[in-house]
Amino acid sequence: MSNADIPVDHEAETRPDLFQHALLLIAVCVIALAGNTVATDATVMQGLVGLIILYLIAMAGLVLTRLVPINLPSVAWISLIGIVVTLPWTPGSGWLLERVAHVNFLTLATPCLAYAGIAIARREIEIARASGWKIFIVAVLVMTGTYVGSAFVAELFL
Amino acid sequence: MENTKDILLDWRLHASVLVITIIAEAIGVIAVPIGIGSILLLPLLYAFVMGLAINPNVMRKAGAWLGQREVKAASPLIVIAIMPFIAKFGTIIGPSMEQIIAAGPALILQELGNLGTIVLAFPVAVLLLGMGREAIGACFSVAREPNIAIIADKYGLKSPEGAGVMGVYVIGTLFGTFIFAILASLLATAGIFSIEALAMACGIGSGSMMAACSGALAHAVPEMEGQILALAGASNVLTYATGLYLCIFVALPVTEKLYDLLGRKQPAAANTGE
Repeated sequence: MSNADIPVDHEAETRPDLFQHALLLIAVCVIALAGNTVATDATVMQGLVGLIILYLIAMAGLVLTRLVPINLPSVAWISLIGIVVTLPWTPGSGWLLERVAHVNFLTLATPCLAYAGIAIARREIEIARASGWKIFIVAVLVMTGTYVGSAFVAELFL
Repeated sequence: MENTKDILLDWRLHASVLVITIIAEAIGVIAVPIGIGSILLLPLLYAFVMGLAINPNVMRKAGAWLGQREVKAASPLIVIAIMPFIAKFGTIIGPSMEQIIAAGPALILQELGNLGTIVLAFPVAVLLLGMGREAIGACFSVAREPNIAIIADKYGLKSPEGAGVMGVYVIGTLFGTFIFAILASLLATAGIFSIEALAMACGIGSGSMMAACSGALAHAVPEMEGQILALAGASNVLTYATGLYLCIFVALPVTEKLYDLLGRKQPAAANTGE
């Protein structure tokens, strides 16, 4: 079989090079800044400073993804850096936290889902049509089962 | 990948996303009360629907504004657009490290709860819906990209197992954020599970599923927002590390065994029954 059939890992794979990433991330942050200004009481300046910090964390993660020979997706590196710079015993973490507090986390996901809606390809719609209602029921049960199962086990050990 | 100039020329794509984001955030969160709780409609859900509405593959008329070129260009942007979100999540996890370490055992073991899909979905698929080996691919996991890679590697994507995993993957891509937002808001208001447990369970899927899930939880219980996001984020990071191995060494073999048990009787029963 050909590898072309495997869908691109939209949320864990990195395709563009570092420079392109840097540019596209700026575009994304500008969009997020507009969203943040609409969604929260934060001023444009507060949102901008917070987003610049998040931008730098994301870029540091992208650089590490390329430098470190461990095969981790870039989002894993980005979240690790975000964690390390805000640990209570990291110097300056209080200052950073105050700045990023002005950026609403849920607003940051909004542009991503807009891109996701636009990215749906013809092939994906065909698969959904061809698989029909049975696969829809199964998919709902798969997600429900995974979610409730995880919550159940977590409940037991809390 | 296209070259840098091409990316910048996709201004229609970025302009569309900018407008969609502003509209979605202006609408804000809407709570729809139903019997056992309430469903929270989040801006990210409107954004996805608006994205679909201007996708030329979904709405023919949208072809006048966006073409296949923009659709293709949007794909790598999903992961780039989630990066600031993931960075923000990291900054929520960091300050809560002590709480996360305290919840450590539950956090690690809840990964085993992902096998719940086999318990709930697999019998329905095989016994009620009469699915064949597609059920193995469809039900062994939550069908995100790493899980597809496992099935592609073992059976090939043209196999029945491959059709199963691709079907659930596509439905998850189309409806996953809605399903997780609805599940989380219903369970948060129903009071069966503790909020901490529900937060940890939010980490199982893709980044956008986690966003919808933890966002719905945080809006249902605003006073616990920090804790919810920290636990969901930590669980998601752990899933990167352990999820793949759980699938390869436990979930898939168990589903195979179950198919031998349930599936063998199934064809005979179906023949006599119909």
